Parts: sequence; C-alpha cells; structure tokens
Amino acid sequence: MRDRRCTGFEPAEGMSRRELLGKFGMGLGGIALADLLAGQADADDGVLDKLHHAPRAKRVIYLFQSGAPSQMDLFDHKPLLKEKHGTELPESVRKGQRLTAMSGNQASLPLAGSPFKFQQHGESGAWLSEILPQTAAVADDLCFIKSMYTEAINHGPAVTFLQTGSQFPGRPSMGAWLKYGLGSANENLPAFVVMVTKNKGGQPLVSRLWGSGFLPSTFQGVRFRSGAEPILYLNNPQGVDAASRKRMLARLKQLHELQLKENRDPEIESRIAQYELAYRMQMSVPEVIDLSDEPEHVFKAYGEDARNPGTFAANCLVARRLAERGVRFIQLYHPGWDQHGNLQGGISNQARETDRASAALVSDLKQRGMLEDTLVIWGGEFGRTNYCQGKLNPNNFGRDHHPRCFSLWMAGGGVKAGTSYGQTDPYCYNVAEDGVHVHDLHATILHLLGIDHERLTFKHQGRNYRLTDVHGNVVKGLLG
Amino acid sequence: MKQTLASILLTSCLLSAAATAAEPGQVDFNQHVRTILSDRCYKCHGPDSENRQADLRLDQRESALQARAGSGLQVILPGKPARSELYRRITSEDPDVQMPPPASKLELTSAEIEVLDRWIKQGARWDDHWSFQPLQEVTLPAVVQQDWPRNAVDYFVLARLEAAGLAPAGQARREQLIRRLSFDLTGLPPTLAEIDQYLADTRPGSYGRLVDRLLASPAFGERVASIWLDLARYSDTYGYQVDRDRYVWPWRDWVVDAINRNQPYDQFITWQLAGDLLPEATQQQHLATTFNRLHPQKVEGGSTPEEFRVEYVADRNHTFATAFLGLTLECARCHDHKYDPITQRDYYQLFAYFNNIDEAGLYSYFTPSVPTPTLRITDRATRDRLAANRESMGAEQDKLAALATAQQQAFQEWLTNRPGETSIPGQLAHLDFEGFGDGENKGVEGKVGKAVRLSGDAGVGTKVGNFRRFQPFTVACWIQTPDFKERAVIYHRSRAWTDAGSRGYQMLLEEGRLSASLIHFWPGNAIRVRTRTPIPLEQWIHVTMTYDGSSRAGGLKIWIDGQAAETDIVRDNLYKNISGGGGDTITIGERFRDNGFSAGLVDEFKVFDRQLTALEVSQLHDGESLTAALAVPEEDIEGDLRERLKQFYLATLNEPYRTQVKVLEGVRQQQSSLQDGLTEIMTMEELEPRRQSHVLRRGAYDAPTTEVDPGTPAFLPSIKGLSEDRLGLSRWLTTPDHPLTGRVAVNRLWQMCFGNGLVATPEDFGSQGAAPSHPRLLDWLSSEFVTQGWDVKQLIRTLVCSSTYRQKSTVPFQVRSLDPDNELYSRGASYQLSAEMIRDNALAASDLLVTRLGGPSVRPYEVAVSFKPVKQDNGAGLYRRSLYTYWKRTGPAPSMMALDASKRDICVVKRERTSSPVQALVLLNDPQLVEASRVLAHRLVARHGEDIEGIAVEAFRRLTSRRPSAQEAELLVQLCREQREHYSAHPDAAAALLAIGQARPVGELPSDQVAAVAMMVNMLMNFDACVMKK
Repeated sequence: MRDRRCTGFEPAEGMSRRELLGKFGMGLGGIALADLLAGQADADDGVLDKLHHAPRAKRVIYLFQSGAPSQMDLFDHKPLLKEKHGTELPESVRKGQRLTAMSGNQASLPLAGSPFKFQQHGESGAWLSEILPQTAAVADDLCFIKSMYTEAINHGPAVTFLQTGSQFPGRPSMGAWLKYGLGSANENLPAFVVMVTKNKGGQPLVSRLWGSGFLPSTFQGVRFRSGAEPILYLNNPQGVDAASRKRMLARLKQLHELQLKENRDPEIESRIAQYELAYRMQMSVPEVIDLSDEPEHVFKAYGEDARNPGTFAANCLVARRLAERGVRFIQLYHPGWDQHGNLQGGISNQARETDRASAALVSDLKQRGMLEDTLVIWGGEFGRTNYCQGKLNPNNFGRDHHPRCFSLWMAGGGVKAGTSYGQTDPYCYNVAEDGVHVHDLHATILHLLGIDHERLTFKHQGRNYRLTDVHGNVVKGLLG
Repeated sequence: MKQTLASILLTSCLLSAAATAAEPGQVDFNQHVRTILSDRCYKCHGPDSENRQADLRLDQRESALQARAGSGLQVILPGKPARSELYRRITSEDPDVQMPPPASKLELTSAEIEVLDRWIKQGARWDDHWSFQPLQEVTLPAVVQQDWPRNAVDYFVLARLEAAGLAPAGQARREQLIRRLSFDLTGLPPTLAEIDQYLADTRPGSYGRLVDRLLASPAFGERVASIWLDLARYSDTYGYQVDRDRYVWPWRDWVVDAINRNQPYDQFITWQLAGDLLPEATQQQHLATTFNRLHPQKVEGGSTPEEFRVEYVADRNHTFATAFLGLTLECARCHDHKYDPITQRDYYQLFAYFNNIDEAGLYSYFTPSVPTPTLRITDRATRDRLAANRESMGAEQDKLAALATAQQQAFQEWLTNRPGETSIPGQLAHLDFEGFGDGENKGVEGKVGKAVRLSGDAGVGTKVGNFRRFQPFTVACWIQTPDFKERAVIYHRSRAWTDAGSRGYQMLLEEGRLSASLIHFWPGNAIRVRTRTPIPLEQWIHVTMTYDGSSRAGGLKIWIDGQAAETDIVRDNLYKNISGGGGDTITIGERFRDNGFSAGLVDEFKVFDRQLTALEVSQLHDGESLTAALAVPEEDIEGDLRERLKQFYLATLNEPYRTQVKVLEGVRQQQSSLQDGLTEIMTMEELEPRRQSHVLRRGAYDAPTTEVDPGTPAFLPSIKGLSEDRLGLSRWLTTPDHPLTGRVAVNRLWQMCFGNGLVATPEDFGSQGAAPSHPRLLDWLSSEFVTQGWDVKQLIRTLVCSSTYRQKSTVPFQVRSLDPDNELYSRGASYQLSAEMIRDNALAASDLLVTRLGGPSVRPYEVAVSFKPVKQDNGAGLYRRSLYTYWKRTGPAPSMMALDASKRDICVVKRERTSSPVQALVLLNDPQLVEASRVLAHRLVARHGEDIEGIAVEAFRRLTSRRPSAQEAELLVQLCREQREHYSAHPDAAAALLAIGQARPVGELPSDQVAAVAMMVNMLMNFDACVMKK
C-alpha cells in the first residue's frame, strides 16, 4: 500500500497497465492472447498490493430492495403495535424527531400493527412474517440486522448514502471502491455488474448509484440490460457477423502492430490489449446470461420467473453465474417497496417477487460451496414508520419513511449465520441496542473482504477519501 | 502505480536544480517539503484549530521551532535532524513515539523521510505557500540551445530539460501540427482542403496564420465552452432523483459567444458571478449569472426544503472556489480546513455572498415553474410592448381615478334617490356548513347555525375560485382557531405547497398571523401580505381577503371584522400567472403535504368575483353596515361614510365607472398574457435586505451558530472597500495582484493545450495540491495574461506557437522512458481525444456534421439507450456537435460517459483518462459511428469507384489527417477486398449494415462495395492514429 498510494491525478488503470507491461517485459500486445485468454491471468489489478487481512468473502451480491421495505411487516416482530393499533404515536417515543414533509404535517399519527402473522423458524428461531416463507426456510443461513439506521429521510439521499457513503451525489459507489481496491478476477467480464428488475415502477433509480464518483470512470458498474443486448454496444451492428468483425479486428491489430514496429509506444500496446478484452467480453457476456444450460431443478428453486430475463429471479440466477465466474461485485436492484399506501397488497406482491429467488440464491451458493466466500446482502435504504400515513383504514393503509431503524440480512462471506443482531424498541421506532449505522455496515462489508476501510483511500481535491468518509466501525458481532 | 509524488519531486529536485532556482541538491520547501508535511501531518498539526494535537502546528515556523516539554528537544532544530523531535519521531520504531502514529495509517516512505532529513540539514527553510504569494517577477532563464526557443515558454521548458540532461524532441510533421492544432483549438479535425492549403503554404508565418484562422473560427468558442461546461456543471436537467428537464441552454450559447468575442477573462467571470449587479445590467449580463444556478436541484416529495437550499448555496460556493481560486473549500464546511489556512468562518463568509437570492429549496413537482429568481428573456419588440402596456395600465388607472371625481354628480343623484336596501353583487359561492354531520370534518355550533370543525387532514372543497391574476376577487369567512398555529392552511386555490411551488392563492396562519398570498412560484414570484399581530385564540373573527387585479401587494388586503388590518408586505414581485398547475378550486382547511387548519372552525364562507368595497366587507362581518348606511338620511352622510358610500356606488352601480374597471382589467389581462408567455431562465438577483448567514455547526442546515457577513479569507488580499455582494467579490477576484485567479486560469488553458496543467491538480492549488512543475513559467504566463488584459486568445496563441507545443509526440522508447509522464515536456503531448472530439471527428470526416451554432440541446441516437432513455431527434439533431448533446444527470449520454466525459454533477476542471473494453465497444458498435462509417464509405465509393487504393488513402487522410504508408495502405486494401468478398456472398448483411442510421446518401452504388468500405472506415475510427492526439 505504501508505494501504491494513489496521488489522485493519475488514473489507477494506467498504473496497473504499466505494471503488467513491466512484469511481462514485452508489453501487453505480446502477452495478451497467451496469458489473458484464460481470463483468469494476473487480473487482480487493484490498487491494493495485498489485502489488509485474510478475507472472508471474495465477492458480494447485493440484493438492493429499493423503496425501503417495511421492517415491522417482514423481519421485526412487534406485538405491541398490534395492541396499540389506532392509538397516537406517543411523543415520548418520537422525541421531536424530524419527519418527512409527506406525513410530518399530519394532524394525527396513529400507530399501525402489522397485518401479517409472524412465526419463529429454524433452529435459530428467527421471527419472520408469513409473506416470506422461503426466506424463513433458509433462516438458519442468514444473519439479520434489526438495528440498522441512517440519517436520510428520502429515497434519493438514502439510496445514495447506502451505495456511496454520502447522501449527496459525487462519491464512488461501493462496487467502484471494490473494483478500485481489488481489481477484477476475470478480465473477460466487468468486475462490477448491475442489474435492475425490469418493468417495475417505484422510486426512480439513477446511474450514479453505481457510478465511479471521483474515481476514474472505468470503475463504474456496468449495467446488464434485460433485452437482446446485455451491455450497451456489446453486439456487433446489424450486418456485421462474427466472421467479418473478427477479420476486421485482425486487420486493426496489424495496423497497430505496424505502428509498434516503427516505434515502441506503450499507448499502442495498451490499445491492442483493449480491443482483445472487448472482443472477449463480447464472447463471455452472452455466455453468462444464457441460462439454457441450467437444469430444470434450478428453475424450480428460483421460480418460474427465472425463465423470464430481467425479472428479479432471473437476475438472481445470473448473479450466481457471474459469481461463479469471478465477478467481484454484483448489484441487483428491485424497486417497488415504497408502501406509502396499500401496504397489505403492495408489500405482499414485493415479497412474492423476491422471496423465493433470494432464498434460492443463498441455498444454491451454499450447495456449490460458494456461500462461504460470497457475501449476500438483502435490504433497502431505510425503514418505515410504525404509524400510518394518511387514514388508517383496516385493509388499506400505508407507512411513511423512517430512518431511525430498519432491518437487513446478510448471508455467507464470513457473517454469523442463524443470528439476529441488534434490537429496536417495542414500538419499532428507535434502536434500543447495538445500532448499526450505514457507515458501520460499509466498514463491516469491507472488513469481510479483507480490507481495512480506513486504508482504502483515494486522494481527491486534496483529501484522502474513503467509502466510510471519517466514520464507521467494523461490527464485530456480525462476524462468524 | 505511479511513483509517489514525493519521490518524483525528489528526483526532479536532484535532476533539475537549476530550474527550481535552488542551489544544486537544495530541497525546496514548497516543492518538496510542504506536500509531505501537509499530507501526513497537517491533519493533527495544521490549520484546523479544533482538532490540533499537542498544540503543535507544522504549517507555521514559530510553532515548529518550539522546544517540547517531554524530550526537551526542539520540534525542529535547523541543521540538526538528530536533535529534532520531529526527526526522532518519524524515524522511531516505537509505536508510542512514532509519527505519524501507526493508527493514522499515514506512513512516510523512506524517500519522504530523506527529504525531511535533508531539509532540516539544510536549515529547515520555511516559505509561505507558493500559490498564495503574489506573482513573482520572472526573468527568462539562460539556455544552451539558443536556436530552439520561439517564445518565452520555451526558455523555461528548455532550461529544465537541459538541467535534466534532456533535449527537446524535433518538430512534428506539418500534417500532425494542423491536426493537433485543429483539435486543440476547435475540437474538430482539419478538412482535407485545409490540410492541403497548409501544406502548400510555404511562406514564412504559415503556422501563425493557421493559428489565427482557428482562433477566429466559431468552432473555437464551442471547443473552449465544452471545457467550461464541465466546470459550470452544465446539465439540461435538474439532477438528483426526479431529474426533470430545465431550460438553461441560452446560457451555454452565451458562453460560446463570449469566448468567440474573446471577452477578457476578468469580464467573462465577473458577468457570470455578478452580471446582475453591474450598473444598468443588460439582459446578457443577467443571463451570464445562470452559471450560479446550474447545480443540481431537488424535487423529491417529502424533502426538507432548507436542507437543499443550503446545499445549493454550498455548491455555488464550492464551484466558485474550485473554478476561480483552485481551492478545496469543502473541508471547511464542517471545521477549519486541515491543510490550508481556510477557517470554517471563512467558508461561511464566502457562503454569504451566494446565500442572498430569493430561492426555494425544491423546484415544483406539479407545475413547470422556473425556480426563482429568474430572467424573462425578451427581444426589443416585446420590451416595447411591455412598456406600452405599462403605460396604458397607468393611463387607464388615471382615468378610473378621474371618473371618481367626474361621476360626483351621478353619485349625488343616487344618494338622493337611493333604495333602502341592496345586495352585494358578484357572489359566486356561499358555504354555510349546515349539512355537516359527524364526519371527519364535523358540523358544530357556528357563528350562524352550524360551522365546520376541520380535522386538518381532510379539506372541504368548493366549486369556485379559479381566478387569474388580472381579475379582482374577494374571499370572506368566519374563523376560529383553537390554539396558536405556527402554520395552518385556512383556505387555498392550489395543487400543493412546495410540491407545486404554492402556485395559486391562499390564506394561511403563519406564526399566529393571517397571511394572504398570490403565487406563481414561492418565494421569488409572488405577492404576500401578513397581519402585524397574531389573531385572538378561541374567538370568532371575520376574515376577508380582497384583491384588485393589479399583481401588486398594494392591491391585496386582509380585513379583520370588517376593518382593514395592519399588514406588512412580505413579497411584492409577482410576474407570472397564478393559475394552472391543478387544484383549480378553493379548498378549505387542508392542503397536500401542508399543515391543515386542525380543530379550526370555519363558517359562512363566501367568494366574490370582484373586489368588495369597505362597506361591503363590513356588511359581511356585521350584517348591517351597508344596510344601515343606506338608511342614513342624506344630510347626515359626510366624511368617511360619504366616501365609503361613494366607493360602493361607483363599484356596483355607476356604469361608466364599472365599464372603466373592465377596461383596466382588459389592459392588465393583455400585460399578463404577454408576461405569462415569456420564457424564463434561472439567474441571480440580490435579496433586499440581505439574508443573514451563519456558521453552520458541522455544516448542518439546521444548526446555525455565529452570524457572519460576506468576506474573504485573511491569507488572500483584502477585500476592504469593495461592496459586500457578488460584484465586490468579483472585483476582488479580478484585481491584478490576486495571486490565484490568473494562475488558475492560465493553468487550465495550458492543460487544454498540453493535456496536463503546469499544476497537475488544477482543482487544488492549496497545500495538498501538486506543486507546479514549472513555477516560474506559470508566473510568467500569468503576469502576461493579467497585464495584457486577460486576453484568452492571446494566451493560447502564445502557448501553441511555442516550440514546446510543436514538438513531435513520438520519440524512441529509450528517450521516452527518461521522461515517462512527459512532465518535463520533452516531447509533444499524446493522449486520447475527448469524448466530444471522437464523435465530432467521425461526423466531420463523413461530412455528416451539422455545424450550426447554438440552440436547444439535441438528442442523438445514444440518448435513446441511456439509463433514462429519451426520444432521439430526427434529422439535423443527430449530427450536431457533441457540445449540444442533451445532458441528463441521472442517465447521461452513455457513449460520452464511456469515453470519460464529465458527469456534470459538480464542478470538474479536469477529466480522467481511462481505457476500457467498453470504450472499444462504443467505437466499434455505436450506431452513430457505424452510420458515419457507411456514409463516408458511400461518398468514397461515389468518388473513387473501383479505385480501392484511392478510397483507402482518402479514408485514412480524412480520419487521421495524414497519408497512409505503403504498408498501411496495403492493409486497408486487403481489408476492403476480403470484406467485399464477404458482402458479395451476403447481400442481406450488406443491406442491413447500410440501413443503420437515418442518413440516406444520394445515388445507387454496389452495396457489397459500400459495406466493405464501411468496415474499413469503421476500423479506422478505432485506429490509434484516429482517436489519439499526437
């Protein structure tokens, strides 16, 4: 690390390339086909020389539930709310905390108990809502955090906070930090892949959530799209088939080599390598997303949706395939959890769309022996209010945003399976015990990956920035 | 990884002592030492007083020379590292003694320790930070190779090269020079004709003439603007989450024009910072200030407006500092800067300059209102019409006043013959709430029969009230409030509060006072009056709001219990419609996401389509004032009563007067329609009186502490005597002896021509930034720039006419490795063209480029496949320069993003340069480039027919500006042949390829040949010589 401190005005990509050139003496142009075709050649080209400590996880699959799932209707069982259903939120609980401008001006804030039944599951005895039956079945593999909290009260800032460590735009996303720090384990695929469930309304997502912020743009996430072209401009244009493209690229290489012969220019060596990588990416990506070689039982496990590209289930299955191929950070987004109204119907639908595939992913990874070094994270950007937004009707009410507590689960990658960490008060309003701040979550994720969150830095505008800014503590209680 | 900064600097120190004005082997504090102390020590021993440890600061000499209590050693004893506490600490192995402490993770390298060692040995000389010192008077250094320098630039560069034992590279070929110059100065490749002309011009001065031609080209403004747009965080959308479109491109066109006019840089930035404050400011000067409003803006429902308003001011502040001072102000938002002498108080003093406009924290979700303050864009004819209307409104108003006198006789007659009874005309609605039962809004005992008691969460609707701002109207009711309301909506005609910018009109309780408003967009486009005292609690009062249709606060009145209430004018600046936006009728007691009138009572709610007179308002209150007045015998009617009766008579019964009221309304309507139709753009406009700024604890919007007034940091020149507004700030910024403004600007222009700045961190000239590679050159250029009238074109001319600039970029590998990053300028610059240049090059080479200047942003193919797809344009919009590509913050143009365009979220003064496989995919497969390939192929085949060699040479020249070598040409010919073979066998494939994109070149040509040539062109667009600046 000492010598690799990035000064902040030289793209880190240039550095790794130069290193590779040094290592192979003759330059990338020469080595590319021999060593890189395997895809796994010395591709760990991140800024970190070596990890800060032994890693528990090698990759992350983050199943981001956008819109903020209601903790007390899914994970955080609160009988008291059912008892107090319809009564006013006591000021002694709220303590004057700021509310969003959506319900903050309501004259009445009636408490609302969950309309769903809760039961304990597995040996760990995890309480789970009836709308998560499949998650319940793998409860013993999961580590629930009940005491997450944040400062943001609205989606934009809150999602940005969870994904970048800051409520305001401009910082690199978690995946970008990882690619910057750890590099890629398979050059034929992007190291940081993003998939968004198709045809979902809900809160708008923005590309900065997987952006590189002030890091060079190569560190940004690459979005896999659900249509015919999984990565933008991956496919050859109409009328250009693989053969004619290949011939054209061969001529391009010759042209570059003519330049090289005249004068050894590292920039040209790098360009030759760039085109070889692009060509291999064209080959590798369609293979990853082609699910035709998956056996029947896999579709049964992930659900029939998995046959339909772009659904959450299909994205989970692709995530597993990407993980198998060494992709470092796989970020899924499933929007639609913003139940300001119609909680009962809305959240049940959301659960139906995600429950089976999320659980299947965990089991599938476990079965393949990959769960131990793959960290799976499931959760949203904040919690929801214990009181009703608008009128409290028996069969149709809603919950507003709530930053003070929310739940999230993790699995694999060195977290303590079959546990629940932290507690909220009986009203599910405040954290009662072992609060986990967003920065703490980030510090812990990096820790699991073998990174000291205080030492993965990038100098920008005169300051060494990191994912956790100047905060964050590794939550030891989450580590297995 | 690149070597650490310190080791590079150490190397250059050793190699090039002569160039840094130091003795051989001499360590220079600013160049070598400060960077280390700053990066590793200042966090705890620097300018930040709050977090300073051990009462030691290493940014000041006195502090660093003090003796320490523990060891008895001085922190630094000049000449004696071994007897310096600092040296003992940095070389200690003991974790309790070691500095920086191991826990800080700020280790020093051995090279860095060596620098500190040598520095102390040499006497530990302290210099003030270089960039905060005035520009130094510089003389040209002596050089050996006298025949190389063409101008001053070259002396400085050559002196360093010679000191390092290097020689400059030879001059680049003329084809390369014209290509390099054309891209650097216009962002476009030279045409073949331009190349030929330049090659043929063998007279002396041909290069200078070429430079002059390019500087005079309108494309020059577009090229420089593309850099300025990054700095100004220009975007066609608001950003954040919802990210709607906004209208700001006229500002972009102003920038292009100002650069093409070669507006002096000091004026260029003064207009943008404070054009509105210039004496007799013109529309263009106002427009320039849109610069300050280009930050992202928020609309997401439920947000706290003040949080975001503060964020906007902070953004303006940061942009000002980064763009013009090269300072990183952000740190000082929460605490004193850790590295530079910027206190938190300094931060908020600068903040105060930008905190004084009448803006909202959120733009409007339900209406397209432009966030205030705004400039209405007008042409001369419109301005004339507005003035004419204003005049006739005055004239009709005078006529109305004259009629009051002229109709005296008629009034007298009416008074004599008046009826005993009359009604109040113009009533549109009357809600008596008698039908209300036990619902959410309850029927309770009222002033007259039943009243409604409001829940605050559900409104009572009406069917009336969609008034326009030129129409007079009146709303009256009885109300009773149970408690003191900080804020409560009594009634309103609007869709929502902040979510609609409050568009409409409303009667609110604010801090217990009645507040009546007519609003287009709150706060900057509205009128509001508010009663001076709070209303009584638990007591019925009668409240009337009357409005005369004038769009002025003076025409808006609040009446309590029949008497005009004493009010303050809160806002008097309504210049757009109050209608539209939804919520067209009056709602009582509740509004979307606002505070309702909870537990408030309302009774006898009445709406009139005219401005009631005093007597009528009293009548509504007491049910008798008017009736009683009509019954008073004529001889007893005098004074005030007579006047009130006259008003009533004129307004309700006197035909000439009533007709004139309508005439006045007609003229007001004309003026309103004209104003409502004007296009607005966000600009700056000072608030009077100035909004008080505060130091915000930890930078939090809701934690104001000490009050601060506008001011500048103490370590920079004094601003005393200049006005405490943005104009004063601009004057301060552009005083010739300002140490930063000139250097920062010159450095950016250098970067534009050479790829990197003389200061490699153009965004940070502070202690953590890079020291200048050629400090004296930077000072020489900056002095020239400032004393020659901030002449941008002249400065660029100096840079590109230098021998330094004209060097060839390709040198033997061994030579290259002596200066691997070209920090000494031992060769010409070489790096990938910008995103804009790559696309524009393809369009220009294929003659598809539409060179029209300015206008609304356009939507080429790529925006239709971005993360937030928008409909692409058809026709010319597909082929404009990339400067004009529609920029959406949440889903920016994907090809440009892949090619390292700036994201435009915040001020960026340097783009990253990366290389990724995704870039290759863009260059190979983006339909824009594929279309350009096949269109150029068509032209080439049309011109050269079967002459494949001719085709290859022209294609190569168009895309690289040079002729191919024989081997290169042979390769191209082979490629064409094999591709032709392929496409002859696959005519469908050829047809499919040639169908990509909208352009349809005229003329039938063999499609197999065109497709084959298209593949060759496409390959060339991926060729190093096409996409690299050489």
